Amino acid sequence: METLTTEEVEREVTAIVAEVTELDREEIWKKRDANFFKELEIDSLLALEILALIEKKFKIQIPEEKLVDITSLTGTINMTKSVLAGNGRLKESAVGGQKA
Amino acid sequence: MGINFEEIKRLVPQRYPFLFIDRVVEIEEGKKIVCLKNVSANESFFVGHFPEYAIMPGVLTLESLAQASIILFKKSFLKEETSNSVFLLASVRASFLRPVFPGDQLLLEVNVEKVVSKGAMVQGIAKVGDETVAKASLTFGLADKGSLGN
Repeated sequence: METLTTEEVEREVTAIVAEVTELDREEIWKKRDANFFKELEIDSLLALEILALIEKKFKIQIPEEKLVDITSLTGTINMTKSVLAGNGRLKESAVGGQKA
Repeated sequence: MGINFEEIKRLVPQRYPFLFIDRVVEIEEGKKIVCLKNVSANESFFVGHFPEYAIMPGVLTLESLAQASIILFKKSFLKEETSNSVFLLASVRASFLRPVFPGDQLLLEVNVEKVVSKGAMVQGIAKVGDETVAKASLTFGLADKGSLGN
């Protein structure tokens, strides 16, 4: 299985969240710490859609209890990184997170 | 193994003129369902859509896929009766490839993408013969009627 850098994960998860929320990638990245439900009017079922698309994109299984981590873009990225790391598929990056 | 119409009525809450599944052709619990909808010239929606040119509204093809999804979800994951709950569509991404006419037989195939205890995301394909007429990604959830505010 392919290993991914944190930047790749950030970029792909941002693209998925942008698609589901119908927000521009730049815009959702700027609001990456905003609460999906309180600030971005995302329905909790859209979190399920985000989860399903992340599973499909990265070919991973994410347990239902991780749904509670999908409350912001940052939370979603961190959850994805943690699942990928648990599967040994996350490359350690020398630099910090970059703009998606 | 197929499911007959009486069983379909037990599983799908919708009724005439809004019940769009005639038969379940195939079901693989937790994974996939294939249903049939015979589109008759007598369908109530053809009265208005359109008076001079009868085509099945695309949203009703999506509704048919959603009802197939309800059967799959109930047979696979919801073993107890929940008269207090209602299925709600949260998100639909669809494309329509050709109109559906009176006399067509819709084959509705739904495959599960992801299921959680209170909802699912599925991929649906509606075909007439070998021709795909619509494709859709549906996300739906199970909500308590009392929580919906009406």
